Amino acid sequence: MTVTAARNDLRSRMVAFRPPWQRATLVPYVLVGPALLCLVTFSVLSILVAVVVSLTNLDIGGLANYGQVRFIGLRNYQTMFGDPAFWEALGNTAFFVIVGVPTLVIGSLIIAIALNFSRSWIFRALRAFYFVPAITAIVAISLIWGNLYNSQFGLLNYLLSLIGRDPVQWLTDPTIAKFSVALVAIWRGSGLDIIIFLAALQAIPPEYYEAASVDGATEWQKIFRITVPLMRFAIFFVTVTTLINWMQFFDEPYVLTRGGPVHATTSMSLYIYQQGFSYNEFGFASAASIVLFAIIAVVTGLQLRARLGGDA
Amino acid sequence: MENRYMKQITAMGLFALALWTAACGGGTTTPTSADKGPIQIWTMEDSTAFTALMQDFTKQTGIPVQVEAVPWGNVNDKLTTAVASGNGPDLMQVGLSLLPSFESAGALLDLSPYVKDHPALQSSNYLSAVAADKINPSGKVLSVPWVSDVRVLFYRTDILGAAGISAPPSTWTQFHDDAVVLAQRGKGKYGYYIPQWDSALPVEFTWEAGGNVMQNGKVTFDTPQFKAAADFYISFYKDKLVPTASDFDQAQGFISGTAPMVISGPYLASAIKGTAPQLDGKWNVALLPRNQKGTSLFAGSNMGIWSKSKHVEASLRLLDYLAQANAQLAWYKAANELPTAKTALADPTLTSDPMVKTYSNQLQDAQLLPLVPKWDKISQALLDSLNSIVLKGADETSTLASLNATVSSLQT
Repeated sequence: MTVTAARNDLRSRMVAFRPPWQRATLVPYVLVGPALLCLVTFSVLSILVAVVVSLTNLDIGGLANYGQVRFIGLRNYQTMFGDPAFWEALGNTAFFVIVGVPTLVIGSLIIAIALNFSRSWIFRALRAFYFVPAITAIVAISLIWGNLYNSQFGLLNYLLSLIGRDPVQWLTDPTIAKFSVALVAIWRGSGLDIIIFLAALQAIPPEYYEAASVDGATEWQKIFRITVPLMRFAIFFVTVTTLINWMQFFDEPYVLTRGGPVHATTSMSLYIYQQGFSYNEFGFASAASIVLFAIIAVVTGLQLRARLGGDA
Repeated sequence: MENRYMKQITAMGLFALALWTAACGGGTTTPTSADKGPIQIWTMEDSTAFTALMQDFTKQTGIPVQVEAVPWGNVNDKLTTAVASGNGPDLMQVGLSLLPSFESAGALLDLSPYVKDHPALQSSNYLSAVAADKINPSGKVLSVPWVSDVRVLFYRTDILGAAGISAPPSTWTQFHDDAVVLAQRGKGKYGYYIPQWDSALPVEFTWEAGGNVMQNGKVTFDTPQFKAAADFYISFYKDKLVPTASDFDQAQGFISGTAPMVISGPYLASAIKGTAPQLDGKWNVALLPRNQKGTSLFAGSNMGIWSKSKHVEASLRLLDYLAQANAQLAWYKAANELPTAKTALADPTLTSDPMVKTYSNQLQDAQLLPLVPKWDKISQALLDSLNSIVLKGADETSTLASLNATVSSLQT
């Protein structure tokens, strides 16, 4: 045995006897560990606790005196499925998702493509301008939009009166209020989606467009044959996150209408909030939040599956 | 990505975690004879005026008081956090409508053993609407009255006069007829305004129709008097006498004259005086229009001692201080909130003001809303039903029938 061979043998043995924390296979687990710990403590554990609470009658009396808390099986779920307000909230959430998500995704994509046409200072200023709603506090938004929409002294109705139109009950007609609230949320949500789309647009190599121009492609052809296909992942990401956000739709109806008039803008999240934090029925609210969680999990799972299927 | 759902789940989870960590805080509260605080009190909204009042108390007793103002909208959050954590103040102001929540949370100390040592806190000193048995349906003394608030009719003397109405309506019929005349002033003008969030109004109407919404300890709307109240409520919408917009601003509408009659409390008077001093002399208040009766809503706040307070004796001294006519009148001067102590209400500084005299008279005929834990849900169902009739055109008979079914199922 040569010296080199012996040294190599020793080295391989040393590798074999490395303590576990030095083995390459453990490194990824150590790295994701802290994140996983947070996820387990603040998400998984909380969800499990909510599942347990949803089977009890926990209310404020139970909170003060645990002796009053009883397991009541699935009665919370039974009551909820018999509550017309629950179905209305579910229907409203579906309405907001169906109206809001496509408008937001397609609208943001169009605006992002338009903003990407030039890098002149006007376009750069416009990019900042479109991002402003995303960073404005919801309270300020509610004040401003509440005053725009107000039926007594709102600006919108004043402008309508200038052209001789009747005032519109922006937030006080049960049907119109749904659209008014959704409009504010679309306006507010567009900033973030546009930024994500812009980043994706700027990652597309300009050579593709140059080659297409040489081949005589029109601007429309470039958009539909190059831009949109190359942005598939960004579009998918924005659709998934926007969909989840809208299924949890809460801020805008909470600050603008408190879910009214007559529940017309009460979303599932707002329904859960009212049950839990206005009526102090924590068990019931947990049950409702488990239902919403299940719906979001199923919808997101379906999307991921469709995406995997499309990519394979 | 913002994840609101997780926030809610986490909040629910924290409540439940508290369930398992159990048995924290507490301890026996054996007050020492020389309890010098310091004590902490939660009051509503603005704390500056209350802090000023407390300086006098501290001067008299040597007990320092920390005042924390809680906005009305956050009361429930504050309460649940305090109950879940066991960390509360020593005293708290409790809106009458919140008494059932505070009671079922076990947040308030039973004061019945202490009342005999503090004659000022005895029930007979207070207005009969807030007698001990009325504010404590379960029989203990969990809180004592602090300030009162009552609904009266606000009307614009100038607008009613111009429409040929010389005196405010005193009966339901006159009320409705006057509203018709006032609504005829033109497009966008109304006779009256019904706040769509106001669940007390249909209850007031029921009392005025000679009925009651509580029967045998349970809330019921299945009475002819409630039907009369609902019909009266609906008639204002049917005849287009009130605005249908839910964001209509009551004070703004009264000041602009869009709604020249409203039913509200003394806080509206402060709002008018503050924002529209030019209206001085062009408006007044009157007792509520009568049907069988002229009963109004008694609102207002009580004061209670937190069940886990370690300064019960010092807190009792503060309650005693606040029950005295001097403090009640000082508070009226500072915050425009009416007293609950009879001696304070009879004081010349109050009786010399004709508007306060009207409030005072109406206070003699005013009732509390039902103090039952489910009232929040029941009153929401009540509002939902009435509003879906008047705003969405739902059928009255079937909607009220399903309201009755909901109300009885909520109380099983």
